Amino acid sequence: MDSPSGEPHMLNIVIDGHAIQVQPGTTIMEAARAIRIEIPHLCYHPELSISGGCRLCVVEIEGRADPVPSCGQACQEGMVIRTQSEQLTELRREIVDLLMADHPLDCVICEKAGKCQLQKYAYEYGLAKTSHKAHVSRTLYQDDNPFFIRDHKYCILCSRCVRACWEIVGANAIEIFGRGFTSHVATPFDGPMIDSTCVFCGSCVQVCPTAALMPVSRAGKGREWEMQRVETICGYCGVGCKIEYALKDGAITYAQGAREESVNGDFLCTKGRYGWDFATSPDRLTRPMIRRDVAYALGLTDEPWQLPETSPLEVRKPKISDSFIETDWDTALNLVADKLADIVQSHGHDAVMGLASARCTNEENYLFQKFMRVGVGTNNVDHCARL
Amino acid sequence: MTNSIREIRDADCILITGSNTAESHPVIGYEVVRAARRGAHVIIIDPRRIPMVDHATLFLQVKPGTDIYVFLAIMHAIIREGWADEAFIAERTEGFDDFKAAVEQYTPEYASLMSGVPVEQIEAAARIYALGERDAGDSSYDDARGRSTILYAMGITQRSNGTDMVMTLANLAMLCGHIGKRSTGVNPLRGQSNVQGACDVGCLVNVFPGYQSVTDAGAREALAQAWAADGLPGNVGLTIVEAMHAASEGKVRAVYVMGENPMMSDPNTTHVERALRGLDLLVVQDIFPSDTAYLAHVILPAAAALEKDGTITNTERRVQVLQPVLAAPGTAIPDWQIISQLAARLDAKMARERDADYWHYDSASAIFTELARVTPIYGGMNYNRLRGEGLQWPCRTVDHPGTPILHVDKFSRGRGKFHPIAAHDPAEQPDEDYPLVLTTGRVLYHYHTGTMTRRSEPLAWREPRGYIEINAEDAERVSLEDGHAVVVKSRRGTVRTRAKISDRVPPGTVFLAFHWREAAANILTQDFALDPIAKIPEYKVCAVRVENPRA
Repeated sequence: MDSPSGEPHMLNIVIDGHAIQVQPGTTIMEAARAIRIEIPHLCYHPELSISGGCRLCVVEIEGRADPVPSCGQACQEGMVIRTQSEQLTELRREIVDLLMADHPLDCVICEKAGKCQLQKYAYEYGLAKTSHKAHVSRTLYQDDNPFFIRDHKYCILCSRCVRACWEIVGANAIEIFGRGFTSHVATPFDGPMIDSTCVFCGSCVQVCPTAALMPVSRAGKGREWEMQRVETICGYCGVGCKIEYALKDGAITYAQGAREESVNGDFLCTKGRYGWDFATSPDRLTRPMIRRDVAYALGLTDEPWQLPETSPLEVRKPKISDSFIETDWDTALNLVADKLADIVQSHGHDAVMGLASARCTNEENYLFQKFMRVGVGTNNVDHCARL
Repeated sequence: MTNSIREIRDADCILITGSNTAESHPVIGYEVVRAARRGAHVIIIDPRRIPMVDHATLFLQVKPGTDIYVFLAIMHAIIREGWADEAFIAERTEGFDDFKAAVEQYTPEYASLMSGVPVEQIEAAARIYALGERDAGDSSYDDARGRSTILYAMGITQRSNGTDMVMTLANLAMLCGHIGKRSTGVNPLRGQSNVQGACDVGCLVNVFPGYQSVTDAGAREALAQAWAADGLPGNVGLTIVEAMHAASEGKVRAVYVMGENPMMSDPNTTHVERALRGLDLLVVQDIFPSDTAYLAHVILPAAAALEKDGTITNTERRVQVLQPVLAAPGTAIPDWQIISQLAARLDAKMARERDADYWHYDSASAIFTELARVTPIYGGMNYNRLRGEGLQWPCRTVDHPGTPILHVDKFSRGRGKFHPIAAHDPAEQPDEDYPLVLTTGRVLYHYHTGTMTRRSEPLAWREPRGYIEINAEDAERVSLEDGHAVVVKSRRGTVRTRAKISDRVPPGTVFLAFHWREAAANILTQDFALDPIAKIPEYKVCAVRVENPRA
């Protein structure tokens, strides 16, 4: 099997004393990441194009007077690179210091605390506050949809959200508008998201390094370090995206893409990222149920009842308890087994049809068809593959 | 899929047909967007101006059901212009001459007449796909010929000639050698989380787990032995739509439904409802009281996917492990526990002599162990190996790394067979009484019969109710305005919904998603003309008329 082509000639470079070989076209950032050397960064994201805006990822290259951003610099033969030095620390501290001058330092109440990239670097560079005159220039707060909140005061204009929207999702819903202190991430004319081309996939929220973009579902539901995390596979379409759910006290607070190597990496669609709340709907079936006419015939209820002629589809808000009574598992399963046995014995195996489910697991579908073939004795087993 | 999802981003040309990728498989849509941003050609062949068209370099807007002419003409042009991959055809395939003769009559001019697509577009699509041309930028590969991949979905298969359509796409890929390599292939995008797995493990009428034919006596015997069963049925069973017909004839008396909603998902709802009402026993096992559940005699509450462990298999044949995220509500339990308990009780009622624990399993993983033993393509898998990124079948032995790309050195049958295909028109054509073509599908914010997504607050906020997409020209004919109530009628039934005037659909075509129980699209669709082999209903084409109730 082949792979995307590389030139046959590899380049030799040295990063922090490690001699490595890289393919031509590899950036210093990518080369460092490949050997697990973390270069500080804010606007860089491995899945997005290079912005080079934050300058936090500067490194020193032997023979060059000035540090260069590692995200945009391609490796060259013989390069000797240093990712840590006193000079670099000074430069990076100053960048973080400047960003903090235009960012509320309310980490004690901020829900991104513990996961915020700016907070991480402030900690690493020992910055409790900014040494510049603090002034938060963006104040727009937009909670115009039930998917995510845009709180511009936390925005550091890294443009990750804009790039994700353009380069990955292709929705092109947002842009950086304005200049200088008035510049901000916006839909056309700062209108509500629903009037834009936004598809509410939340990819922007996922790549945001600060609390500028946050899921509505987690507001007031707890801090990052209080969340339990469980990874599973999305239950909607057949792509099979890996999703990590954050939970507090057994309830989901938000969902996000789980990891780079999976089918989907950081990215999900709107259904996967936001469409999980059905699971706790009060409409969920919680106990086995028997239809009232059947229950009456069995003496489980005194009230006679008849299935209405009208199609259930024509009832605007049907209520299941109008037509069914709750029962226990033993009663329900014995009833089904009794009736199935009767039908098989009087009409034959092929009088029974089983519809399995493309929403159930392999194990369940396997057992279902085994039940139909061995238990009932028919190949009448199908599922919604065609529907 | 013959290939893997993450290869799409490196393709030079992506041909999308019968797939509303950005709405039905958004994350695969992201792969297409990435490729397009790097300069890949994106060719879309579809009756609707779907959102992915924004990223397309070529859009062939066919009249519904006429795409077969376009594909045959594309292959005609490829052969005529010498763009075919002669070496691949000679070394890897058979039946080329018969196939070549069969496409002879389908000239681009003929196809243009039938489909409404200009000849130049058909020829451009033929050249770009065949040669794997890029719109801009450099290829990720060094090949002389660029790499082209085909993505398709139910727009191709939910047709009375669905099997022909799929074989046509396979013919096209083989004709150009775009198969068996990274970023190529014939790639069906499957619509539900485990539709691939449900097929793999034998929830089909004609095959046992691992696609072993039920009519193969050897397979029956081996499996009967593995299952310690006296014997296994050797006749092909009834598919869903056939079973509904059999039920209305009284031949099928009991239906056991696990996690499906035929009242919304099957064609010709009125007929489905009549069939279900006539049953002696309807058991519905589900997470919500679906419209099918309302007709059941017994409802069994199941745990949702978020509350389960087990494995599911995605569209690229990757088997991945689920972890329970939430606790199941009330007394709801995972489906496998319900089946296992029901099976044991049925054995007792039928006085079958089997080990007491025959249907007992300790865990989902214990079922998987048995499943892997009798399903050769899963043979090398176990839960330990599946953690992390999972494995793509075929994976027959524990040291096999899985198969990201099928048909690399040879096809499963040896040489790839060209199937000569003739064009077929949809079974129900528009006429004076029903002048419009209805095509059905999904919208971005909802999923299948809507039982889950319509109960999701953010999704329901964004897309609260159903609508029919109709072109301004057709709307004007009955004095409909955007947002107006509209009545849609077919020979099967009537649906009331709202009009959304849109240039996504061309004049003569309307689109209604099947998520809306208050405007259930399948009341309109037909169930009389199934694909003769796959038995799939023609959801994508039926004849309707729209009426303005105010007129």
